[in-house]
Amino acid sequence: MDIKEIKAVIDLMRKNSLTEFEYEKDGTKIRIRRGPDGEPQVFASSPSLIPAPAVLPIATGLPLSTPTPAPAAVAPAVAQEKLPSINSPMVGTFYSSPAPDAPAYVDVGTVVNAETVVCIIEAMKVMNEIKAEMSGTITEILAENGKPVEFGKPLFRIKPA
Amino acid sequence: MFDKILIANRGEIALRVIRACKDLGIRTLAVYSEPDHDSLHVQAADEAICIGPGPSPQSYLKIDRIISAAEVGDVDAIHPGYGFLSESAHFAEVCQSCNIRFIGPSPDSIRRMGDKSLARENARKAGVPIPPGSDGPVQTEQEAIKAAKKIGYPVMIKAVAGGGGKGMRPAHNDVSLVKGFLAARMEAEKAFGNPEVYLEKFIEDPHHIEFQILGDKRGKIVHLGERDCSIQRRHQKLLEEAPSPLIDNDLRKKMGRAAIKLAEAVHYENAGTMEFLVDGNGNYYFLEMNTRIQVEHPVTEEVYGIDLVKEQIKIAAGERIPSEFENLRPQRHAIEFRINAEDPAMDFRPCPGTISLYYPPGGIGIRMDSHMYGGYSIPPFYDSMIGKLIAVGPDRATAIARMQRALDETIIRGVKTTIPLGQRIVRDQDFRRGKYSTHFLERFFEKKVQNSS
Repeated sequence: MDIKEIKAVIDLMRKNSLTEFEYEKDGTKIRIRRGPDGEPQVFASSPSLIPAPAVLPIATGLPLSTPTPAPAAVAPAVAQEKLPSINSPMVGTFYSSPAPDAPAYVDVGTVVNAETVVCIIEAMKVMNEIKAEMSGTITEILAENGKPVEFGKPLFRIKPA
Repeated sequence: MFDKILIANRGEIALRVIRACKDLGIRTLAVYSEPDHDSLHVQAADEAICIGPGPSPQSYLKIDRIISAAEVGDVDAIHPGYGFLSESAHFAEVCQSCNIRFIGPSPDSIRRMGDKSLARENARKAGVPIPPGSDGPVQTEQEAIKAAKKIGYPVMIKAVAGGGGKGMRPAHNDVSLVKGFLAARMEAEKAFGNPEVYLEKFIEDPHHIEFQILGDKRGKIVHLGERDCSIQRRHQKLLEEAPSPLIDNDLRKKMGRAAIKLAEAVHYENAGTMEFLVDGNGNYYFLEMNTRIQVEHPVTEEVYGIDLVKEQIKIAAGERIPSEFENLRPQRHAIEFRINAEDPAMDFRPCPGTISLYYPPGGIGIRMDSHMYGGYSIPPFYDSMIGKLIAVGPDRATAIARMQRALDETIIRGVKTTIPLGQRIVRDQDFRRGKYSTHFLERFFEKKVQNSS
């Protein structure tokens, strides 16, 4: 029942001098009884129906949407595994291979060491070779070829050696 | 008009710029540091790019990352806000060479007026009064006496290698000058390793008065009146108001003309502020220029009904300054109080923390420029200002009454703020009478100590 319907019921009760009304549907029960002074009291079992007046609550956070992801996404990376990631040290465009027709620097399963170049991030027309900075095996490629990345964006998931 | 602007800043000014962009239908790209991920300006922008970790030198001051973000985001212009890179001629130049419009003056203007001594030189050449001083250090007592005679007592003896208020002592006559000269040299040698001192006119009980100017690409410069920023603690402004209780229409005209003349001399473009010291006799002296939008710009906006940030964007996009902006007279009175997350009881120590409850003031004549919200965690890496409370009224008394009401209404829980100090300042009799100088706060604190003992 919504507020309109409840008001309509209360009206009906008044007009017809009824003292009690009960309604149940799909687990929600509502009972309206006219109190000693004739005014209706509403009892609802599903708490969301008539919320109690709220004291100024301690806000938990601003309910604004996170920024839309074009062209660089802000959505924090959800770590599916507890494995570390190689993160972008700069802002720019991610490229997985040294040239458009060349094979990718690394793939899932590639074993790398600290000096292995894993990708290129282009910033201001400069192609920067990004090193793994740790030894291990690439388990996941998290960035998309040709797409912009921001500082801190996880590029690869790596299983440390 | 621009299609998209990158805001190279954070906090309340980033939000301010984003609001002006929204009003103009311009899309916004925010850059932010990792701890600022949940900041309001990031949420309010259309797009956002992370540019580094907390410390500013690794994020908000990283020109390469900001420019990268500008390219990745395909923006037309960058607004630098205040602080950070807003007065970096180098940054303005990099923007230029990357074909991105810098919303501010030219790199040349920033250099010519950003350098304090160059600025004074430009002022002198433009016929704008500067604090009289000895031309360079004085080596002997005789030189000192001669210089003091030329300048006129009282004078301030300043260490050449000093700064930040250190190594200065006043002298009111020849006798105290000689004594002070010798003592100052000894002190300077000990403190700075350089005994050299020079003389400057000692301006007693000055007001810090600054003039807002705007210049467009066609070379038209206008001034939008003054702001009185005398209420400072350790050279940090706490409260500003427009118009100044000290300035009458004649002095406003004179100083306004001087500000415009100086801006014209350096072909200044976009928003800027000329700072002056004014004594009780209507004598004014040029101090320095800020080649950017200022923190306290809202008081000018409220008094003249002009959106200064919007004007900055329009000027940068090539629009003319409207002729209606010339020779405006202040129609209203506005006061701004800076709310800092600081503990006044602990010598204003910064209090980063989480705001558990925030209820902003409202009602007629109240404006709050802030990035605060309930649940927001103030990061420890940046300055402690969390909001600016502005009260406007048809006259000064109404503005003060509204400021008092608004400060009393505001609830910020979870961090200590300077609001209690603001509540005491607006109730102070000297402040209410408009009788104050840059020494107001020190005397105010002394009064408090006396009263409590």
